[in-house]
Amino acid sequence: MENLDYARLQMAFTLGFHIIFACIGMVMPFFMVVSHKKWLNTRNPVYLKLTKAWQKGVAIFFVTGAVSGTALSFELGMLWPEFMKHAGPVIGMPFSLEGAAFFVEAIALGFYLYGWKRLPETFHWITGIIIGISGVASGILVVSANAWMNSPAGFEVVNGAFTNIDPVAAFFNDAWFTQALHMTLAAFAATGFAVAGIHAFQILRNKNQELHKEAFKIAIFFGAVAALLQPLSGDISAKDVAERQPVKLAAMEAHYETEKGAPLFIGGVVDEEKKEVTNKIEIPGALSFLAFGDFDAEVKGLNDFPEDELPPVAIVHYAFQIMVGIGTLLMLAALLFFVSLRKKKWWDNKKFWWLFAVLSPLGFIAVEAGWVVTEVGRQPWIIYNVMKTAEAVTPMPGLKYSFYMYVLVYLALAVTVTWLMNRQIKVLNNSTE
Amino acid sequence: MLYVVLFFTFFSLFLYVLLGGADFGAGIVELFSSRNNRKLTRDTIYHVMGPIWEANHIWLIILIVILWIAFPVYFNIIIIYLHVPLTLVLLGITIRGVAFIFRHYDAVVDTSQVWYNRLFRIGSFITPVFLGMSFGTLVSGKITLTNDYSQMGFADIFLFPWLNAFTILTGLFYAALCAFLASTLLIGETTGEVRKIYSRKSAIFTITLVLIGGAVLTYGYFTNMVFVKDFLHNSFSLTAIGLSAVLLLPLWQAIRKQHSMRTRILAGIQILLVIFAAVNTHFPNLIITSSSEVDLLAGAAPDSVIRVLAISLIIGGAIILPGLFHLMKSFNMIYPKKED
Repeated sequence: MENLDYARLQMAFTLGFHIIFACIGMVMPFFMVVSHKKWLNTRNPVYLKLTKAWQKGVAIFFVTGAVSGTALSFELGMLWPEFMKHAGPVIGMPFSLEGAAFFVEAIALGFYLYGWKRLPETFHWITGIIIGISGVASGILVVSANAWMNSPAGFEVVNGAFTNIDPVAAFFNDAWFTQALHMTLAAFAATGFAVAGIHAFQILRNKNQELHKEAFKIAIFFGAVAALLQPLSGDISAKDVAERQPVKLAAMEAHYETEKGAPLFIGGVVDEEKKEVTNKIEIPGALSFLAFGDFDAEVKGLNDFPEDELPPVAIVHYAFQIMVGIGTLLMLAALLFFVSLRKKKWWDNKKFWWLFAVLSPLGFIAVEAGWVVTEVGRQPWIIYNVMKTAEAVTPMPGLKYSFYMYVLVYLALAVTVTWLMNRQIKVLNNSTE
Repeated sequence: MLYVVLFFTFFSLFLYVLLGGADFGAGIVELFSSRNNRKLTRDTIYHVMGPIWEANHIWLIILIVILWIAFPVYFNIIIIYLHVPLTLVLLGITIRGVAFIFRHYDAVVDTSQVWYNRLFRIGSFITPVFLGMSFGTLVSGKITLTNDYSQMGFADIFLFPWLNAFTILTGLFYAALCAFLASTLLIGETTGEVRKIYSRKSAIFTITLVLIGGAVLTYGYFTNMVFVKDFLHNSFSLTAIGLSAVLLLPLWQAIRKQHSMRTRILAGIQILLVIFAAVNTHFPNLIITSSSEVDLLAGAAPDSVIRVLAISLIIGGAIILPGLFHLMKSFNMIYPKKED
């Protein structure tokens, strides 16, 4: 493999790691403040205990997200110096605001973690809300910068230089809203289902039922609402991609031939050499409808794009299938949860808890798959139709070693954080028994 | 508007050196403490820094983001030629950051604490060393800018410029500065006998700092380093560094009399003077390579970008600074407790 491949692998790996911690750090504060509010209202000690347990989780995930985010802010330049040299000033606005939002979050976290019994109760609780809001704001701002790479705006290229820069236009590029909406909902769905699943598993093990059921209720509520809204946002995104990045849409669907009334492929094995998809399920006209709202619309196929501007089709197609598949599954589980609120008997059934325990990691798999779709689907471009990834990479050789280093360090971190969470849960379970 | 951006650039640099430095220094003081004092230092540091601990390190992100937005050409050189030491800095930041949170938020306190502590201390020491080495490299005149990377070996472009006697000295200088800050800060947080321990440590680290600082200048002088020669011929820089030396006297007196507030203010002023002396020498040519000097401002982003950035920084600052101040005040970080 070449230096470029290692740079891409390192970026993918570190972003893939960061996104999990960033999502949890962004969404868990909301669970925490809901539980905190319930404690303030009812003075039921279960809520206090849950709030404090979640608070430890928030602290650990926030810091891990923060250090991996610090690493990323350097890595963008270290791996892609030519990209940053030209794009840095253009997409600076969301990044500088993100820095500010992140700062607010850190300050609010300082107040919250250290404020128990030292700050007025309501003020203390509000600082918890600020953590959540500024976390979500950070997420939206960073995604807006990524959206610019898919939908570059706010500059002109004259003789290789970026001129006439309008940072505000770059910020509000065509893709920012759809991407930010999709990612924010994804973060809530993934974290909601992950946290709920962990508590469901504890309920199965018959540990501290009261606390884990309260925890499950709070987490799944956020997750379920987001999972129900996500297909709508997905539809907006698909139409947007169809219009702005037709080649990405074609790769997502592994759609080689341009045709009217294009069918939607579900599953299938992609053969990039022969340019065909086998073993798929076809739904006639559905792709045309989903992309353009018209069963007869023409969808441009991969064969009609220049060979050297095609992304790796198979990866994008499989990742897209995984994302949509899981999204559908979580939406059904969300419906099931809302029905269960009326059929309380289900809550005594072990199968109910097994289901949510098994679903636990799926949301994050979908998040990772979604990022593969958007990032790999944009290749070979780093800035769509403006700059190729190969032109942006650092001239420094030997990226292989820095890639291995990151893999080693982050895997060790992931293992440690998982082990720490396990210890938190054990302590939580043992303390009331 | 450019001046607003420049102000925030150096303001973030100053606060990162000061607050981040005190934070790194805490780990270094722990590293160089006897077994009994380590536990004490650990608890005191957690007590005094805890609430702003996260915020301390965000100044670095703000600094990096300003550099890449407003001074892309300048940032481009840093990020290509300092790839290796900056990777090591990131490794250090990651290790010590998570070790700090693990040791204070692990639900079970057992032997794993030994590992958290070890990683935190070692990470706290190596991170400022590599940061100091990176700063040193920029002004050392040892970077060779090239477009033909195959002509020179990997080591000549990406290794030796930052790995040499001069940069090692600047690295140790910054680490000593961090330790000096942390021990000075700790004086105000403790009482009685314990306080004497930190007063002594603070004095030791001050002497170490002055000695290494002297070594940096001496070495640079005898190896004909452009930056050091200019430094010694720049009357403002010399005045600043002289003033910070003179201020050592009241600082020592404040330490001896255990006036924690005065000690902190004096230490802060000294950091400001050291940064001013270093930056002023060659401003705006803040990178000195083997053949040329790179002007920070020459490659600045267009006005439209600077304007938006300046407005963002002013709005961000207006939200962040009062918040940070209120945070520090709420947890008695500005007015440390009086000696009983």
